[in-house]
Amino acid sequence: MAQFRQEFTPLDRDAVHQDAARRKEEGWRYVQTLAVNAEDGVDLIYTYMKDGLLENLVVPLVPHGSSMPSITDVYLAAFVFENEIHDLFGITFTDLAIDFGGNFYRVAVSEPMTVISPEQKAAREKARRVAAAKAEKDAKAARAADAQTGYLADHPDAAGESKPGRVFDTASEADVEAKLAGMDPEKVARVRAAIAAKAKKAAAAEAAERDAELEAKLAAMDPEKAAKVRAAMEAKAKKAAEAAAKEGE
Amino acid sequence: MGKATVIPFGPQHPVLPEPLHLDLVVEDETVVEAIPQIGFVHRGLEKLVETRDYNQFIYVAERICGICAMGHSLGYAETVESLMGVEVPKRAEYLRVIWHELSRIHSHLLWLGLAADAFGFESMFMHCWRLRERVLDIFEKTTGGRVILSVVKVGGVVRDIDDAMMAEIIRALDGIVDDYTKIMNTLLTDTSVKNRTVGVGYISHDDAVNLSMVGPFARASAVNYDVRAFGRGAYGDLSDFQPILDDGGDCFARVKVRCLEVLQSIEIIKELAAKIPAGDIEVAVKGAPADGAQASNVLEQPRGECYYYARGNGTKNLERMRMRTPTSQNLAGMTRALAGCDLADVNMIILTIDPCISCTER
Repeated sequence: MAQFRQEFTPLDRDAVHQDAARRKEEGWRYVQTLAVNAEDGVDLIYTYMKDGLLENLVVPLVPHGSSMPSITDVYLAAFVFENEIHDLFGITFTDLAIDFGGNFYRVAVSEPMTVISPEQKAAREKARRVAAAKAEKDAKAARAADAQTGYLADHPDAAGESKPGRVFDTASEADVEAKLAGMDPEKVARVRAAIAAKAKKAAAAEAAERDAELEAKLAAMDPEKAAKVRAAMEAKAKKAAEAAAKEGE
Repeated sequence: MGKATVIPFGPQHPVLPEPLHLDLVVEDETVVEAIPQIGFVHRGLEKLVETRDYNQFIYVAERICGICAMGHSLGYAETVESLMGVEVPKRAEYLRVIWHELSRIHSHLLWLGLAADAFGFESMFMHCWRLRERVLDIFEKTTGGRVILSVVKVGGVVRDIDDAMMAEIIRALDGIVDDYTKIMNTLLTDTSVKNRTVGVGYISHDDAVNLSMVGPFARASAVNYDVRAFGRGAYGDLSDFQPILDDGGDCFARVKVRCLEVLQSIEIIKELAAKIPAGDIEVAVKGAPADGAQASNVLEQPRGECYYYARGNGTKNLERMRMRTPTSQNLAGMTRALAGCDLADVNMIILTIDPCISCTER
């Protein structure tokens, strides 16, 4: 038998029936149809197999509640999947060979697979944040590399000494202390207060970001598990506060 | 011809282990049309993938069905591994196939027992299930479970089988072969069995191909398709693998194909047990499938080809997991096999298709 391979190929929405008829002529075996819910519609995936090639044809973003031509006149086996997609995703199929009219599955919620759960929403938001952070980090690294290249072009003698990414580093603590030593004491106090306020603000922003990330994680968790984690965290915080109070005494 | 009457069959019926409803349109004693209806045990398990990470979901996947538990955990793990580009150690691939083939033996023996019961051959039912118990004993000794095994994980398996246990498995299988051969010969030569199965529920080769049928149901109509023949994983190391085919196309052919597949599975296990390489049984899998990454997979379950699909969303929870089971693919073939049969043969035809409704509805 042939070697197993799998492929994903885009398919135009209007070409679904014609493509099924052509494949039937060419001897492809119908494997299945499935749907994937997205915010802007439903991706339909038609799968066929021939000579070990499992070909998945992706019809992207069919609008919710819209209609598609049935392929059951070509492949009768598709009636199960088309009825299922109708009941679970709300996509209607015209000219279904065996049409259950929305009574294939007895579901408590209409079109249950299109409901985006809070867990799924949190997971998607987290994925978006992670992707954005990664893109920002990559862009920052690219900017630093460009700047380094430019700096080295302007200062050829610094080529052996400088390290990528450290050329435009802010002044080190030692440099700041050296600068402050020669200043008016009143101004020094003001600068020190400003530095401390900035550090406090940065720490608060970091803590807020950590809390938001933790909340997203907890939201994506099983509620029972999340409650356990919350209880453990509260206990830990209480213990730390008690220890701090004892130390203060 | 008499007047057409609709007779409801199931969902509760003595011959059906799971709820399947059929509207049988009959004229006199002849079924002219059969319309299947499922939806009585739909649990929405695919939706659960949104709230369980990809490692946790394997335990949901294997609870889709008690009989196909091993197959579903294997099919799911292979799909996620394909999605994340994970290569499983060779020893783990062998162990997976050994357990999967044991699972096929237990599924076919369970089915043979149910079929024998439907013939009215109750002592045969007892013998088949007695032998199945020995397979479940092997499961218990090697995995700790008899039905839900929980040995497959994304990246390999969680338990190894040592040489002494492997030898014990071979001894147990040799013992099963002796008893099973007697049962099989009785089933395939007994007149009362033949009276109920030969020429009943016929499906031609062309119909089987046109209706996209899979598994023993299709192979009994000489459709040469078995996912194991692609030679993926440990199946690729078998010296020879040829799907069991029969061109009878009737209930008897389906009984025969499954009977011979039990012996074939025993041979596969014995060969792999002799060849199993030493080494690791798992690799560490870290990270999450990329956003929008997708993978598909097929696996030969006891009832036929099962299709799996997974899509990632950049987190540990998958965006979508889909299992298309062999029974859903064979429902169209079942309606064709029932059209034109005698009303009294309906139960026999349904049983020889070996429908699994829990898998189908998930």
